[in-house]
Amino acid sequence: MTETPSAPPADLVAARRAPRLTPRLYASLLAARAAGAASRVLGRGGGTSLPGMVARRVDPAILRTLVADRGVPVVAITGSNGKTTTARFTAALLRGEGIPVAHNRSGSNLVQGVTSLAVGFADVRGALPPGVLVAEVDEGALLVVADELRPRVLVIVDLFRDQLDRFGELHALGAAMDAVAATLAADAVLVVNGDDPLVASLASDRAGPRVTFGFDVAESLDRITRAADTIRCPRCRHDLAYRAVYLSHMGDFACAGCGFARPRLDVAVTAVEVTGIAETLCTIRVPGGASLELRIPQAGIHVAYDAAAAVAAAVAIGAPLDHAASSLAGIRPAFGRMESIALPDGRSVILAFSKNPTSFNTTLRALGTEGEPRRLLIALSNTLVDGEDFAWLWDVDVESMAPRVEWAVVSGTRADEIATRLKYAGLDPRQMTVVEDRPAALDAALAQVPPGERLTIVAGYTPTIELREEMHRRGWTGRFWEQ
Amino acid sequence: MTTETLDRPADETPLRTQAPDAGTLAGPRPSERPTAGPREAAPTPVADLPPIRILHLWPRLLNVAGDGGNVTAIEARARWRGIGTETVSYEADDPVPDVAAFDIVFAQGGQDVEMTLVARDLPRIAGALRDAADAGVVMLPVCAGLQLFGHRYVPNSGEALEGAHVLDLETLGGSQRFMQHAACEVTIDGETATVVGFENHSGVTELGPGVEPFGRVVAGAGNNGTDGREGARRDNVFATYLHGPVLPKNPWLADQLARIALSRRTGAPVVLAPLDDAVETRNHDVALAKAMRNRGQRTALTPATLHRRGR
Repeated sequence: MTETPSAPPADLVAARRAPRLTPRLYASLLAARAAGAASRVLGRGGGTSLPGMVARRVDPAILRTLVADRGVPVVAITGSNGKTTTARFTAALLRGEGIPVAHNRSGSNLVQGVTSLAVGFADVRGALPPGVLVAEVDEGALLVVADELRPRVLVIVDLFRDQLDRFGELHALGAAMDAVAATLAADAVLVVNGDDPLVASLASDRAGPRVTFGFDVAESLDRITRAADTIRCPRCRHDLAYRAVYLSHMGDFACAGCGFARPRLDVAVTAVEVTGIAETLCTIRVPGGASLELRIPQAGIHVAYDAAAAVAAAVAIGAPLDHAASSLAGIRPAFGRMESIALPDGRSVILAFSKNPTSFNTTLRALGTEGEPRRLLIALSNTLVDGEDFAWLWDVDVESMAPRVEWAVVSGTRADEIATRLKYAGLDPRQMTVVEDRPAALDAALAQVPPGERLTIVAGYTPTIELREEMHRRGWTGRFWEQ
Repeated sequence: MTTETLDRPADETPLRTQAPDAGTLAGPRPSERPTAGPREAAPTPVADLPPIRILHLWPRLLNVAGDGGNVTAIEARARWRGIGTETVSYEADDPVPDVAAFDIVFAQGGQDVEMTLVARDLPRIAGALRDAADAGVVMLPVCAGLQLFGHRYVPNSGEALEGAHVLDLETLGGSQRFMQHAACEVTIDGETATVVGFENHSGVTELGPGVEPFGRVVAGAGNNGTDGREGARRDNVFATYLHGPVLPKNPWLADQLARIALSRRTGAPVVLAPLDDAVETRNHDVALAKAMRNRGQRTALTPATLHRRGR
């Protein structure tokens, strides 16, 4: 952009007064600090959720007291896929314009994690520093924390089928998002993905300001597959017609039944190219007609969506975008998102976190740009956050990946389910080794990786953390919360 | 910092399972072995077996929970035996196919919204489905498929949906979601085996006298959490609440469906060649262990709601 650099709105950088310090608030802040310190010393999760849990136990109103009651400018980011990356991009864009940001970098996004974010940045009297709070919020936790955060901007990145055993049906989640949108302040900005039919249909009768983002690209970049979720009109249930499909059910859609169609886009990706497993180039048109040329060191069509969502969030909060290209040029992937880890012996590991059919398919497509995965460690486990039911693995296009796989080490407590899926996708059982234990699986896989070559790890949330922690223990990478 | 493990030879790695030798054709493992004993007859020559004709009903509407894996399972197991398959999809408003000309019919799980769309289309094809069921076509309606193959589905909110009347059963929306690993005991043609899967439904299904249960609940809620019955069966219609998907982790059931379908088609008893099911059997056994740990409970997890507090 060629315009003169503009200054950020004054209230985004203004100092704030501390809340009235009650004994309970003081005790809560102290307890959270102690919990955070203890947890860091013990090396458990970097204190990402424990301080918030402790603080809320002492003072259940603490998040509201620190944030909503003080009028702290909050950008809350929710949705199924891309929350963490969008939050990182948003934080980088704001910082690049000189706006201080407090941000839950680690992706700890449940009620306690968001509370940890606020108490972690508060001073001993409970005052948050000047700047914007960028909070990634789990779509299930949003209903609880929305009122305690009172966000100035709420970004809904997308809604995909994710953990039917946790959230129930997708339309129920849409209804919950509507309920949250209805509680927003009248002047709060709702930022929605216009290409996602369900998200685009949310809170359509809300009078407050709205910023839409999406792709304005003529040709399809994806096709509707078994993993697609919202392929019927969210209003009248008629089948949607797509002029172009960009990612799963996201695209330029229209309903022949009721006329509901992809809304006009305020922020639009007009060109995108995934150049390899570590870079995406995209052009993003912003309101007023200017375009941002972005080179982002992360791979995937979804990365362009996340960038558009972040640009839309910056627009919504009134931040300038003079330094957007440089802000995003140096941004490393969130932990485990196609993260490249160098081993001391010259080999490398790509750690690709995948949690549902769409994120899995997106990851596989990005890996495919460099012919990966060839040597594969794949892991899923049943945990409270990962879910119990991995049937969705049968909706993933594993068949397209199978011919590239030379061998696979299959791990996690549901290694058996993965092995079955790989076998039915065409992998010979002789190409597979089942090693349930994660560190042992890492050893078994690396034992087969020749010098100078790469191991691809595709894993669910908990195995990703476990494997990353193991690689940290071996001195190959930092801890995820230190990034 | 531990890096010496890098140099550890592969043969010292504590592998839990060695990849099975594809040259061997291992028989069923003990937990999978049918009580009535394996069939002794020699496998039917593949040259005598026609392709299995598969009809996949409403795959765009009834598509949750990975149940498409059931179709994949029948196709892959046929391919491994050298038997062909032909799969046809039927979507709402498509011309109604001659259902009785197919060998196996699939209808999978779906969400309430999609169920209403299927119910709207159902009157067009319901007669053909009933005739095909009467004629002995193999069918595997799962979850929403089971509910829609019955007489009626009365959801918690919204209008009652009329079903296809293929199965003598009726389902009411319940107040509790049954969401857990589950297992049931199934008997087909004198062979009994344990079938495992994941149930995820809030419908409460009651069977009428025109159907038998598909299985007897070993662990899980089954049709309604009270009467110990899982799914429904009449003729060769096998209806179940079990996702997973159910066929890949229950190769015994997959092969029973293929065997019955091919026997009906050829007019002579078919014996399928055995396959090495080591991978599938381990999957089955892990799922069974998970189901047994939850035995007696209705839900494995306290189902998360959108109103969670203080987590």
